[in-house]
Amino acid sequence: MRTALFTSLLAIALNAAPVDFTKEIAPILARSCAACHAGKLQNSDFSVENAAAVMRGGKRHGKAVIGGHPEQSPLMKMVRGDLSPKMPMGGALAKTDIDKLEAWIRSLPSEGAAKKMEWRWPFEKPVKPAVPEVKNASWARNPIDAFVLSRLESSQLRPAPEADRRTLARRVYFDLIGLPPSPEEMRSFLADNAVDAYARLIDRLLADPRYGERWGRHWLDLARYGETSGLEGDGAIGNAWRYRDWVIEAMNQDMPYDRFVMAQLAGADEHSKTRNNYQPDIQGHIPLGFLRVAPWDRSNLVAGEVRQNYLSEVTTTVGSVFLGLSVGCARCHDHKYDPIPQRDYYRLQAFFQAIQVENADVPYKDPDFKKRADAAIRDLQAKLRDGAERVELNKIEADALKRLIAARKEGSKGKEITKDDLRLEMKRGEKSFFTSAERRRHADLLEDANRTQDPEEKSAIDAYEAAHLPRLKAHYAPGIDAAARFDSLGVEEARAELGRGSSKIFSAAERDRFAQLNEHMDVLRRRLGRWQTNALTVKNVPGPPAGPDIAPTRILIRGDYRQPGEAVEPGFLTCFTGKAEPVEIEQDRYRQYPTRGYRITLARWIASADNPLTARVMVNRIWQQHFGRGIVATASDFGVNGERPTHPELLDWLAHRFVEEKWSIKAMHRLLLTSATYRQSAENPAAQAAQSDPENKLLWKAARRRLEAEEIRDSVLAVSGRLNPERFGPSVFPPLPADLADFARYGRGGGAMWEPNEKEEDARRRSVYIFHRRSLPLPMMAAFDAPVFSESCERRSVTTTPLQALSMMNGYLIQDEAAQLAKRVEAAAGANREAQIEAAFAHALQRKPTQAEREKLTGVALDAICRILFNTNEFLYVD
Amino acid sequence: MSQLSRRQMLFGSYLGLGGLALSDMLRAAGTPLSARPNHLPAKAKHCIFLFMEGGVSQMDLFEHKPELIRLAGQRMPQASNTTGEIATFSAAPNRLVPPVAPLRQHGQSGRWITDLMPHLASVADELAFVHGVKVDNNNHGPAVYHSLTGNQFPGSASIGAWVTYGLGTENQDLPGFIVLGDPRGSTIGGAGVWGNGFLPAAYQGTLFRNGDTPIVDLNRTKQMTADAQRHELDLLQWMNRSHSAARSDNSELEARIASYELAFRMQSKAPELVDLGGETEATRKLYGLDDKDSEAFGRQCLLARRMVERGVRHVMVLHGAGGDRWDDHGDVKTRIPKHCREVDKPIAGLLKDLKSRGLLDETLVVWASEMGRTPFDNNLISDKPGRDHNQYGLVVWMAGGDVKRGATFGETDDFSVRSSGDPIPLRDVHATLLQLLGLDQERLNFLHAGRYKKLTDIGGRVIREIIA
Repeated sequence: MRTALFTSLLAIALNAAPVDFTKEIAPILARSCAACHAGKLQNSDFSVENAAAVMRGGKRHGKAVIGGHPEQSPLMKMVRGDLSPKMPMGGALAKTDIDKLEAWIRSLPSEGAAKKMEWRWPFEKPVKPAVPEVKNASWARNPIDAFVLSRLESSQLRPAPEADRRTLARRVYFDLIGLPPSPEEMRSFLADNAVDAYARLIDRLLADPRYGERWGRHWLDLARYGETSGLEGDGAIGNAWRYRDWVIEAMNQDMPYDRFVMAQLAGADEHSKTRNNYQPDIQGHIPLGFLRVAPWDRSNLVAGEVRQNYLSEVTTTVGSVFLGLSVGCARCHDHKYDPIPQRDYYRLQAFFQAIQVENADVPYKDPDFKKRADAAIRDLQAKLRDGAERVELNKIEADALKRLIAARKEGSKGKEITKDDLRLEMKRGEKSFFTSAERRRHADLLEDANRTQDPEEKSAIDAYEAAHLPRLKAHYAPGIDAAARFDSLGVEEARAELGRGSSKIFSAAERDRFAQLNEHMDVLRRRLGRWQTNALTVKNVPGPPAGPDIAPTRILIRGDYRQPGEAVEPGFLTCFTGKAEPVEIEQDRYRQYPTRGYRITLARWIASADNPLTARVMVNRIWQQHFGRGIVATASDFGVNGERPTHPELLDWLAHRFVEEKWSIKAMHRLLLTSATYRQSAENPAAQAAQSDPENKLLWKAARRRLEAEEIRDSVLAVSGRLNPERFGPSVFPPLPADLADFARYGRGGGAMWEPNEKEEDARRRSVYIFHRRSLPLPMMAAFDAPVFSESCERRSVTTTPLQALSMMNGYLIQDEAAQLAKRVEAAAGANREAQIEAAFAHALQRKPTQAEREKLTGVALDAICRILFNTNEFLYVD
Repeated sequence: MSQLSRRQMLFGSYLGLGGLALSDMLRAAGTPLSARPNHLPAKAKHCIFLFMEGGVSQMDLFEHKPELIRLAGQRMPQASNTTGEIATFSAAPNRLVPPVAPLRQHGQSGRWITDLMPHLASVADELAFVHGVKVDNNNHGPAVYHSLTGNQFPGSASIGAWVTYGLGTENQDLPGFIVLGDPRGSTIGGAGVWGNGFLPAAYQGTLFRNGDTPIVDLNRTKQMTADAQRHELDLLQWMNRSHSAARSDNSELEARIASYELAFRMQSKAPELVDLGGETEATRKLYGLDDKDSEAFGRQCLLARRMVERGVRHVMVLHGAGGDRWDDHGDVKTRIPKHCREVDKPIAGLLKDLKSRGLLDETLVVWASEMGRTPFDNNLISDKPGRDHNQYGLVVWMAGGDVKRGATFGETDDFSVRSSGDPIPLRDVHATLLQLLGLDQERLNFLHAGRYKKLTDIGGRVIREIIA
């Protein structure tokens, strides 16, 4: 079976029967090239004496032959005249000879093809390995430990002792919910001497809704979740937060991973086998936000480019997130390292070709949330309709219009009647001097000219106005109240004048107040928009006869949308299937919805126990979060260039287990966290391990880790007691340093990039709820390695910089929350300094201060103690 | 400490990853920002990147095209009409717009420069130009990303991040990569275009703001004195040290202890850096600080000099924001002279000042935008013509370091539309920039998403024609 598959793959890769160089090619070269490129005379150091020399090429163009790619080979370019001078010099090869050369080059294996052939393991379905026998069987708590210990034993290494219970508690709290235990939680765990105390703690944390906020965040990293375009103006792309909430909830519900995958790729793309006219559940559109939350170049005018960039982004991201493969590398050419031909990239992309990028109105499903949203909407609508600011604005505008009309009347005295006056007169309705037919005609011409900016339309309106102007002048002449034309000025003109920096009618103070009120109304309108049910999602093109059919997918030469090549049908990656045929797309019985079913066909293939990578990739991601490093350290690249698995059998065993446990992520957590491997201390007294395996690849101790940006901020707020536990809903805007928000405006006239929160306590929500503006990350979060949210991020970097220290020493977060913690501690412990210090340590570090610490800190102000605790490495690191 | 575990310390667990480029493996010891030797010999040690956002009009500033004057107001001759490939914002424009001011030749090199930039003209021979550079996209967002990160899609590392990743920085009391924004507002992409992308966060650009708190959270709160903070810091470090002493493999913990000392020093070094009080009247004038139009950009340029003087590796200076960008779709006649007034004196002042202090030799100055503009008006009915985007017509100049003074490479056609010779992709400019800083574009790489990522992506040609 395996051999058969391999052979078929080889045939695909080689793509053609081999061509015999000596018989077929050498005679051509000898006949036409050898005079100048052989023997003593090797012009440009190029020789055709043997195949190797031909391939090596000369000094002008380097390699003359690129295996498998005649179109890129200088030899072909020169005989075709694409590269000057055309060869042979002064002549030309016969077409049959050129064809032979091309066939030969095509038959040569492309570079790295051999390497690609060897790289099979990720594409073979994992076989469940037997759990290995180990010497120290009593150490193992579950099969994971047998795999780990077996490797340690064969390397003569011993695992570290079990971590103490405080350390363990801190570790699982941060790992599962991203927050430290409260002093009470720590106390009760330490006091629980039951055998299953630790297992129960894990169960409790897995059931805690804060778990979804932590693990949802990990997924959002992968999903390159952001809420703005990232490009010109960096405007909001829509209500992306609906997707974010869906992810959090899916994590909390322990949605089986296969369903989780299906929902994000193929929500609302299913048929019914039995029902006619079946319409999928509208809620299925929410998880499709996965296909929308990337950067989005909405101001680009070239629709074809925008479309192709969109499809490429989605194809690339799906490849790396679900399959752990850098499929994106094959956009412009065959993958250099992995067995992914360019053709496969476009066959994969073809599954998304039915997508129509469009939002949908998706009602809130949860009744409680709906109540909350409705209340917010009602409140905002009321404020927009008759809030104090609206009332003031109405008054200003009405008053401004009166003054504007008066000023214009006054200013018009003795002035010549112009086109502007004609336009005013035309607008006067029944009172106008012009007939209704004339007024209508004028309005039409004016609108056309403004809309089209076309010279002919422009001359039409010019001519019409020129013809009518003398009549108006004549009409105004004798004793008519011509100034009445200004009565046709409307509130729009008043608003324009109020917004004009050079206005002579309104004072700067009046204009500022007007601008301020408008800004306020804009904030309310944006807020309202964020609560409304319009969700970021995709739909399918309608398909004939209702609308356009799916555009064909073409291989793009060099990935350039302007150079479409051969058309391809949707198909799975050949490196998995060994088959290059198109797949059968799921259709409904009556073929009523011909564009539906593409994404679900792909999704079923990915979210399948038969897919060799899906389960491995996901268990490896879960493993990475708990052990600091994946079994495959390059979690989104299982390809040749990625890291080799440190424990391949364990990975396969876990992948099987994951599927057996119905793709339950929580069951996987339970398994990993109850292992003896996970429960090790970060210190291993047997020092030789540090020498032979300094990177701890073999897992002879626990990995100490620095908290992630979100964990740091959330923990500070939790410890000070001010973390706002509110869940879900539109994103929030914690304060930015004063001038930064202002600077981030897209120019002076640009819209605000950061906004005031609806409620003060919104600023203290968990970090996963912070508005993700791509051009404006919170400085502290960016300093602590929060990702850029523009590309899928499979692993955070951990750096140490003085800017982090500055934000922790001087930033408002620590300053404010340290003061709050001091208050909290004082309220609980009273004025007794000893007790205060003890309480502060219990909150921040979940331990008692040492005698030395007590002595050192007794004379220090409580605020300062709290600041110091937040800054300690002990606070920022988990052992 | 073994070389390997030392390396681990530098980047923390990040380098726990294998699969890193050899260049990382051999990286000299120190922190991620320790100065490192360059790959290739080069005089320039610092880079000042002057970025004119919006798309600079090459034919108004540096490209003398008599055909534009001769055929002003007429439609572009069909034969040379290559506009079909440019995605213009307007329907079918094509009425040629002559340069807004005369261009004249200057210096030994006979370099064409607009009359609107008399100060730059006085240093014409310092500059080396590349004309007809092609950018990947004709719209600002992607083009700005392409210019500043080498990739039109967000998510890649900024040039400054690459440079500090390659070379570290000389002054650990200041950030290695500093961004001086236009005080009028942010550039497209904001933090995205000075971000670290897939590189470790230590290489992200630090935005310097106006006023006396250049770096976010640099200043102590009002209630906090330096002594009080020092006292707190001493207690903190005492706790941190005992925490660290109880742990093996504690290099990352030690690095964090050191980072607090750096931060503390930065609090005095950074304000000193932005305090222009010590600059003479003559210097202030040289940069145009005495002129309302050029004051803001002059201040940025003067700060840039003070930064490289103190060993900052890479300074990105941004000009143009919102309605004041070089995106002159209308009214070029008033807008272009205004942009020029804003930058002419400051840029010339910077070059002169660097030179007189002997810093120009060790500083590479790069001037660029994200695209060029069209020779024709993009408005149909207008007495205030404007120019559309042109991704094929970017003009770039460099000065300082090993740049060949007075050199020119590339030429556009008679209408400044595109290179009349071989296309010059933007990656060639990036490759040249790296080369001039002693960085080999191939060796400066980072494994990400299955590929060794490089600033120049598939590799650019170093433009030797502008290297001395």
